Amino acid sequence: MSNVWTGEGPRRRRASDKLRVTIVSGIVVLMEFYLRPSLVEGRGMPDFLLLALLLLCLRLSPGAAALAGLVVGLVLDILSPARFGANMLAHVLLGSGAAWGRAVFFADNLAVNSGVFFVGTGVRNLLVLGLSGSALARLGLEATLWGPLQGFTTAMVGVVVVLLFREWLAIRIER
Amino acid sequence: MRDFGGRDAAGGGLLLLVACLLVALAAYALPRPIAGDVVAAIRRTFLRPVVALQERAERDRTSRFRLGEIQAERDSLALQLLADSALRSENAQLRAMLAIRPRPTPRWTPVEILHQTTPTDARALLVGSGSDEGLARFQPVITPTGLLGYIWSVGPRAAAVLTWMHPDWRASAVTGDGAVMGILAPVTVGSSGHALLELRGVALRDSLPLGTLVFTSGLGGVYPRMLPVGRVSGVTADPLGYERRYLVSPFANPATASHALVLTEPVDPRIATVPAVDSAP
Repeated sequence: MSNVWTGEGPRRRRASDKLRVTIVSGIVVLMEFYLRPSLVEGRGMPDFLLLALLLLCLRLSPGAAALAGLVVGLVLDILSPARFGANMLAHVLLGSGAAWGRAVFFADNLAVNSGVFFVGTGVRNLLVLGLSGSALARLGLEATLWGPLQGFTTAMVGVVVVLLFREWLAIRIER
Repeated sequence: MRDFGGRDAAGGGLLLLVACLLVALAAYALPRPIAGDVVAAIRRTFLRPVVALQERAERDRTSRFRLGEIQAERDSLALQLLADSALRSENAQLRAMLAIRPRPTPRWTPVEILHQTTPTDARALLVGSGSDEGLARFQPVITPTGLLGYIWSVGPRAAAVLTWMHPDWRASAVTGDGAVMGILAPVTVGSSGHALLELRGVALRDSLPLGTLVFTSGLGGVYPRMLPVGRVSGVTADPLGYERRYLVSPFANPATASHALVLTEPVDPRIATVPAVDSAP
């Protein structure tokens, strides 16, 4: 046939990449709502929903990432309605921030991804607590103990997910 | 032709981001009753499968890891019932002699608590039962150790519980001997950020020793009388100096509770029900 480049190949590849990332995110969401509650409970447990959001947002534009953050925040506001809207605001800011950071600063490798998972969890927790009207001492405890603990466990699970699905997520492991 | 990968796309993304922020801000500014209705409506429609899945997971975890603990609790309860049977029989005879009517037995519904990973989870808990099981707003929620909170919003298959850790939570309280009354409110103590309760409004003439048990007083019509809440663990200063304030360590921990009981029957028959608007003169 013709040798003229029509752009069909890359476009199809981009669509399949999005499908793969969506499938991985879907598996992580299932882990959040079935695997984690059926195994263990308590503070500091990995947040699979946040992990799925960050995996998505690192591959989306800031606007689309904000929309994803809004949906995840709404789900969390419905399931844990301590202060309606706090999770939505926090996740919109976090999602768009992660997407913007990915476009401007972040390299696409395992260490940076795990760092994003760790910092993202801590920042999300502080934002939600701050928007829910928590006392300063409670924010301090979150910043020094629970936030880093949950960030660590989330980052560890994130590393495992990235290693398992590295081909699908197109992340460079060796660097 | 539009440039979808260039400035137009960036502008569209910015517009989407601003729109999302505006929606989130509008949700944040919603009054609490409207927010409760929105939460219940979405939970009973779009998120119903999610709640059902999590409830199933909670049941699996209980049967997998907590069976031994539950059997031990059941055995302890059976022993205690046996030990108390003579006392209950004597009490019934005395009531019959004095023509006192039997104490009403509260009706309750057991619920499973579905914890989330958000940092505010302990303030508002999701439970896997709803109006289909007889739950309604403002019903008290207790654990075997003490008071947890009350039902804040309810749907057919799930409900949200506002716990004593929530900044808006309050309860009227009384000491075990009925001598000292006050209002309980959550506080964060010291630099550790530990969540406790504060007994406010205690008269200056009253003083409570450490370890005094604190119960609900029954005033207000939400909680019945004498539900155990906690134990006095310290004294705080009233900034105005008009009252005494005491720290109370609650018995129930919302962050670790896995099961609870919702009192579904009108808990105190002496509390008059407010007549409906139509029947008012």
